[in-house]
Amino acid sequence: MSQPLTPAELAAYRARQRSRSRALGLILVGLAVLFFAITLVKIKHAADLRRANAVAKPVAPAAPGAQTGH
Amino acid sequence: MASQPLTEPAARTAADWRDFYALTKPRVMTLVIFTGLCGLLAAPGPIDPVLGFTAILCIAAGAGGAAALNQWWEADLDGQMKRTRHRPVPAGRVSPTSARDFGFGLAGASVLVMGLANDWLPAAILAFSIFYYAWIYTVWLKPRTPQNIVIGGGAGAFPPLIGWVAVTHHLSLMPVILFLIIFVWTPPHFWALALFVQIDYAKVGIPMMPVVAGERSTRRQILAYAVLLLAVTLAPWVLGLAGWIYGVSALGLGAMFVWLSARVGLRQSVPEGDAMKPEKRLFAYSILYLFILFAMLVVDHVAGLGA
Repeated sequence: MSQPLTPAELAAYRARQRSRSRALGLILVGLAVLFFAITLVKIKHAADLRRANAVAKPVAPAAPGAQTGH
Repeated sequence: MASQPLTEPAARTAADWRDFYALTKPRVMTLVIFTGLCGLLAAPGPIDPVLGFTAILCIAAGAGGAAALNQWWEADLDGQMKRTRHRPVPAGRVSPTSARDFGFGLAGASVLVMGLANDWLPAAILAFSIFYYAWIYTVWLKPRTPQNIVIGGGAGAFPPLIGWVAVTHHLSLMPVILFLIIFVWTPPHFWALALFVQIDYAKVGIPMMPVVAGERSTRRQILAYAVLLLAVTLAPWVLGLAGWIYGVSALGLGAMFVWLSARVGLRQSVPEGDAMKPEKRLFAYSILYLFILFAMLVVDHVAGLGA
């Protein structure tokens, strides 16, 4: 059975845990910001693609005898 | 002696975040990030900066995950070699289980994010490169054959290919040539190192070329690969896939590489206690060589000279 940690060892243990938690927290915040930025880029790409398709699609001419409103 | 993962209980002190960072082999990752970035920048076509950054981050994370798995698997051998005994797992700072889980987690996340953010083709190639390094090289080849470096070098050759494909979303000849450049560069780079640390590898039974085939054979092969490397690096220029800036750089850098390799390759006798200066000089130059060569590729592309 392993010996219990001395107070000094426990303090060092906790300090390392806190340091690791801080680093992990920063990484998670960074990832959240990155995923948000990726989402914005993807939405913009999709919107640009839709706009380009709408411009490229030819407008169908009106059928002869069709109602024109006057 | 095949390596087995360590199974000792966790260390008495919690691992610091720096220990997990060390598991990713940061110095190797620098080269991975740089060559991946060069592949991305030299590829034809635009890429959004956010998606480009994400692609490079995924390549780095994938390489880091593979490196962590390598350190988990080889911890028992690392503990017996002077060069590696202070790594986190053999030194007891990180438990083997934590290293394993960290490696798998990082590798898996990198592939997933690459696929979702960029495209599934670079993600698939990234996944294969991780498998290649962590399994094909580390578990299968390294303990079995002196050709371990030759074939295993392929793992480090993937980043520029992945970076390129992250932009183009398809495979073509140029990224394959970039892969081949690093593939052919790896043996002389590693064997130069192996020549001056061969005692450590011999002690743990890893079949490195100087230990198995002898120093003379290793030296000849270093020179042969250096000449082959020169030819491969000139291929983009000859085929019209890169311009003269890259071509002239490849020629000059390659000639120096061959010259330094010749000083190692043609060395007849090495006295006891020799400082191994030509070998160390070649090893140091090989790192600088790759950085400059890939940088010139990007410069050539930016100058509008590439295909």
